[in-house]
Amino acid sequence: MSEVVIKVENLSKCYKLGHKTNDTEESFVKAISKKIKNGLSPQSNRAIEDFWALKNINFEITKGERVGIIGRNGAGKSTLLKILSRIVKPTTGRIEYYGRMASLLEVGTGFHGDLTGRENIYLNGSLIGMKKAEIDAKFDAIVDFSEIEQFLDTPVKRYSSGMYVRLGFAIAAYLEPEILIVDEVLAVGDSVFQKKCIDRMTDISRLGNTILFVSHNFSTINSLCNTGILLEKGQVKTQGIVTDVFNHYYQTQKITETSFDLENLARYEHKQELIFKEITFNKVPIPYGEQIKFKIKLKNKINAKQFSDLDFGINFCDNNYNCIYHVSNRFINKNFTHCTDDSVYEFNLDNNLKPGFYNLILFLRTADQIQDFLINRVGVEILDGNPYEFNDTNQIQGSVLPNFKITQT
Amino acid sequence: MKTVITSEDKSFINFKELQGFFGLLKYLSLRDILVRYKQTWMGFAWSIVRPLINIFIFGTLSMLIIKNSSIENFVRVGCGIIFWQLISTVISDSSNSLSANANILTKVYFPKLILPLSTLFPCLVDFLISFILFFICVLFYQGISWHIIFLPLIILHSIIFSLGIGLIFSVASVKYRDVKFILPFIIQILFYASPVFLSSSDVLQLNIPEWLKIVYQLNPLLHIIDAYKFCMLGNNAAHINLVYYAGSIFVTLILCFLAVRYFLKFEKTFADYI
Repeated sequence: MSEVVIKVENLSKCYKLGHKTNDTEESFVKAISKKIKNGLSPQSNRAIEDFWALKNINFEITKGERVGIIGRNGAGKSTLLKILSRIVKPTTGRIEYYGRMASLLEVGTGFHGDLTGRENIYLNGSLIGMKKAEIDAKFDAIVDFSEIEQFLDTPVKRYSSGMYVRLGFAIAAYLEPEILIVDEVLAVGDSVFQKKCIDRMTDISRLGNTILFVSHNFSTINSLCNTGILLEKGQVKTQGIVTDVFNHYYQTQKITETSFDLENLARYEHKQELIFKEITFNKVPIPYGEQIKFKIKLKNKINAKQFSDLDFGINFCDNNYNCIYHVSNRFINKNFTHCTDDSVYEFNLDNNLKPGFYNLILFLRTADQIQDFLINRVGVEILDGNPYEFNDTNQIQGSVLPNFKITQT
Repeated sequence: MKTVITSEDKSFINFKELQGFFGLLKYLSLRDILVRYKQTWMGFAWSIVRPLINIFIFGTLSMLIIKNSSIENFVRVGCGIIFWQLISTVISDSSNSLSANANILTKVYFPKLILPLSTLFPCLVDFLISFILFFICVLFYQGISWHIIFLPLIILHSIIFSLGIGLIFSVASVKYRDVKFILPFIIQILFYASPVFLSSSDVLQLNIPEWLKIVYQLNPLLHIIDAYKFCMLGNNAAHINLVYYAGSIFVTLILCFLAVRYFLKFEKTFADYI
C-alpha cells in the first residue's frame, strides 16, 4: 500500500443561481423603475436556487498516480480542480494533501502583453510557484522547450498564438511540484508540440510525482494516465484503472443504443415546425472502415401540408469538438419535400474516421427557416482498427485514416 | 508538508506563507513599473510632468483663495501635491488591484494580499522620482531642517492609511463594480478635505462655521500631511500638534487592522464573485 497524497472527504460546492421570477419581456425603463421600487437590492426580483456543482465527493489518490478526471460538461470537473488548487473554497468538506501542489488551469497565466518573453517567464514562473533560483536554473531549458529563443526579447503581444502557448506550457513543464493539476490546456498547439507536452508530463510522473489531469480527449488521457475518476452530476461515479473508467463513461452515455428518440428533447430556439423525431443506426458501435448507415424520421408539429426544400446538415464531431464530417443533401443536389411523417431519410456514408467517439450535430432547414438544431445529443463509437494492419492505432495521430501508399524508386 | 483545505477563513495574516510568495510580489511590482509608461512618448517623465501640472493648477488656485503669490506659497503647494500624488495613487491602485488582476485571481492560488501590496512599490517609485527633484529644489532654495529624518516614518504612516482604505475598496469592488465609479469622488473629497494645496492653518482662518472646522481637524490625513509639510519645509509651512498626530496614528492602525481582517474574511470568495 503506497502512501496517500490527496485525501478528499465529503467535499461539496454550492453555487447560488439567480432566476428571474417573471419571464415577461421588460423594457429598460421598466427594469430600472422596478429596481428603484425594490430598494436597489440586487436580489429583489430574483429567485435564488442552490446548484450543487459537487456533492459529497470522497476519494483518495496515492503517490505517483496519474489520474484522469473524466465527465461530461457540467459534471463538476473544473470545480473540483479549482477547489483542489485553492482558487475557490468548498462549501463543506475537507481536503488534505501532502507536498507542493501546482495547478495549470490555463497556459500562460498572468502573461502581460507589454512585457517581453524573458520578463514573462519570471512573472509567470513566480505566479505558478517557482522561486527565482529555480527559474534561473531552468531558464535555458524553458527557452529551448518553447522554441522561441529568437523572440525572447519581443513583447508577447507580438507573439503568434502558438508561440504564446508554447512559452506558457514550457514554463509550467519545468515546474516540478509533487502534485501537478492540469486542465485541458493541451488542446492547443500543433500535434507535434502536444506530443512533446505529453512526453514531458509522463517524464514528470516518472519522478514519482502525482498528476491530476482533466480532458475530454480519450487518447490523451489514455496515454498519460493510469487511473481515472468519473464524475457525473457532481458525484464520483467510479474510480479505478483508466480504461475501466472510460468503459463505464461510455456505457453511461448510452452509446450502445442504435436508436435515439429525438422528439422529446428540450429545445430552445428555432422554428420547430418540423423537428427530428428519431435517428436509427443500423449497427452500433460501428466497426472501423464500415459504412455508416442511419435513418432519420421527422415530425410535423403544425399539421402543415408539406415542407419543401429540406436541407439536412449532419456533422460528426470528435472529442475536441472539431467537425470531421459534414454531410448534407444540398451538396449532392438532392431535393426532398416532406409530405408525411412516414417518410424515412436514409444516409449512407463511407467511413475512414479514426476509432473513437463522435458526437453528432443535427441540423434541419426548410426553405429559409432553420427548423431544428440539436448539438451533441447523439453519439456513435467507431471500433478500434485501422486499414494498415498496424498493431497500435493509438499511435496514429489525426482524425481520419486515409488509404495511402508509400513507395521508393 | 501537509496542507488542509476547508471552508473556514483565515483569521489573520499568515506571514510565513506570505514570505514564500515574496518573489511573486517582486515580479508583480516590477511588472507594474515596467508597464506603467509603456508605449508613451514621454515615458517616466510623466511622473514629473503630472505633479508639475497639478502644482501649476492648484498653486494658482491657492493664490486666488488666500491672496498670497509668494514663491513660498508655491513651494508649499508643491510639497503637498507631490505627497498627495502618492496617497491618492496608493488608494486608487490598491482599490483596483483585485479587479485589474481578475485573470490571475481565477487561475492560480496565492495569498491575495499580494495584489494590493504589489501596487505600493510602483507608486513609491513614481513618488520618489518627483520627490527627489523637489527635494533638491528645496535644499537650494531654503535648506532642509533636521526634522527630515522623520519623513520615512510619515511616508510609512501615509501608506498604511491609504492601503487600509484601498483594501476595503478592493474587497467591495469584487462584488460591486459601483466602487469603480464612486472611488474617484471619494478621492476628490479627501483631496479637498486635506491640506494639500492650502495649509490647514489657512483653512482654519477662513470664514467657515466652527463645527466644520472641528470636523475638518478630525480627518486623520490632515495630520499626516501637516506632519509631512512640517518635516520638509519647517515651521512656517505647517504646525504639528503631537496629540492630534498620535491620534492619527491610532486611527490608522485600527483602520489597517480592520481592513486586513475584512480582506481575509472574503479572500477565499474572490474567485467566485469577480
